[in-house]
Amino acid sequence: MSYLEIENLSAFYGKAQALTDISITVQPGEIVAVVGPNGAGKSTLLDSIMGLVKIDGDIRLRGHSLVGRTPSEIVRHGVGYAPERFNLFPYMSVRDNLMVGAFTARDDIQSNLSMVHSLFPRLEEREGQETSTQSGGERQMVSFGRALMTSPELLLVDEPTIGLAPKICHEIAEVLRKLNKEYGLTVVITEQNANFALSLASRIYVLESGRMQTSGTADELRNDKRLLEAYFGGH
Amino acid sequence: MLQILIQGLLLSGLYALIAMGFTLIFSIGRVLNLAYGAYLMVGGYMYFWVSQTLGMPKLLGVAVAAVLGVLMGFLKYRLIVKTLKGDHVAVEISTLILAVVIQAGIVLVFGDSSKILLPIVPGVINVAGASVTYNILIATLISWAILLGLFAFVRLTHTGRAMQAVSMDAKGAAISGIDPDRINLITWGISGALGAIGGVFFASYTQLSPSMWVAPLIISVAVVIVGGIGSILGTLVVAHIIGFLEVIVVATLAPELRGVFTMLLIIGVLVTRPQGLFGREEL
Ligand SMILES: Nc1ncnc2c1ncn2[C@@H]1O[C@H](COP(=O)(O)OP(=O)(O)O)[C@@H](O)[C@H]1O
Ligand SMILES: [Mg+2]
Repeated sequence: MSYLEIENLSAFYGKAQALTDISITVQPGEIVAVVGPNGAGKSTLLDSIMGLVKIDGDIRLRGHSLVGRTPSEIVRHGVGYAPERFNLFPYMSVRDNLMVGAFTARDDIQSNLSMVHSLFPRLEEREGQETSTQSGGERQMVSFGRALMTSPELLLVDEPTIGLAPKICHEIAEVLRKLNKEYGLTVVITEQNANFALSLASRIYVLESGRMQTSGTADELRNDKRLLEAYFGGH
Repeated sequence: MLQILIQGLLLSGLYALIAMGFTLIFSIGRVLNLAYGAYLMVGGYMYFWVSQTLGMPKLLGVAVAAVLGVLMGFLKYRLIVKTLKGDHVAVEISTLILAVVIQAGIVLVFGDSSKILLPIVPGVINVAGASVTYNILIATLISWAILLGLFAFVRLTHTGRAMQAVSMDAKGAAISGIDPDRINLITWGISGALGAIGGVFFASYTQLSPSMWVAPLIISVAVVIVGGIGSILGTLVVAHIIGFLEVIVVATLAPELRGVFTMLLIIGVLVTRPQGLFGREEL
């Protein structure tokens, strides 16, 4: 039994189908990346795992089906989510944003907060600042922090590098590695930036127009020239 | 001058309490609860029935009114808002119909003549040359205490922060493990209690009548439109603008014009600043 098993997943917005027959498995302690161009269905995939989208098929976490559960129940099952557009609470301070993340994990507030502050010292320096006045990089940190405050075992991160400077992308990669190695989190990220995905993930799934194109280990895909050209512009 | 200042502060405190239950629902549920005035009416009549008809302690009357307010809020959410989920026009029309039905119920039970509530605390006090009834003074002080308590609840507790979170970003709240349904239910309950208690004070300030739900509803709608928000601090500020406007009009022009200027203010804001004076969504 894998840690996360997605089986024949299709997702719908009203009548429009955004994902068709997607199957993904994730082993405990792995970093897996889902790569694909804009509109491929990456955000829809992560939203589906969180119970935010109407789906067909099955999604199991540690063998328990998540289908039909509310996002709140899925968070309690140990899934943390840092979405693409962050969805922060703009007129709350950094600290209050993090405290909202602690809604279901009240016994772990102190330990989670010190983990978040050691990963992102800047959040402690700026804890009184409203997130509406922060830069994209800082918001990304708050978004990660809020997800970590839910005490997740599985962390979903939607396009962590989008719109961020290379230096900050590098820092984000470091943090994700640390969360995986030191804190034992299983991580699923989505990316358009193939190099970022290849440098971080052990296995990669390639998604286009809502369908799975191919998948393999990072090493396999790095050497697959046709694929690189098709999806990553040959870089 | 001093008289206006004192009257303005007292009236505004009461208006803030009244409007708060309405703006809470607007901020979190994105619903204009047009039955809100009916909470005040039911609260006022329940207080009248317990404390004057039955002759029980006044505090018990306020408590029973508040509990009934909570129940009305819960029922309203479960039976109407949740059932018509997402269809704002349908929700608002049903809330208006509900208000009219409640008005008919009140007429049936209590008759349609208006009733005078005995002051919660009788007597008059002299504040810096201005005479103020204890009744109004106490009502305002309790309003302020309730608003402070609400402010602390929203800022300092997990449930309060969850209410703010739902009002600012529903998806962000959901992925933080917050069940929006539960937060909405709690908010409707709080709103009902605020309305019912506000109704007791409002009725003791004016009088009980089956049409008393209209004026407080207009004040509440005015606060939302003028403020453009459902925040606690914004509600306080706008309640003071409306309260002072009314007191100044009554003192310098004519008592009959008191509501007219509130209406003009609504129209003025709608025309010049449709997003409201503050125009940001928060709690
Ligand atoms: N809320 C929505 N309503 C309707 N269609 C949507 C919605 N969100 C995404 N889509 C559609 O679903 C498809 C996948 O979108 P998305 O998951 O956002 O892709 P990606 O994250 O890979 O850019 C796109 O065709 C997009 O237009
Ligand atoms: Mg996306």
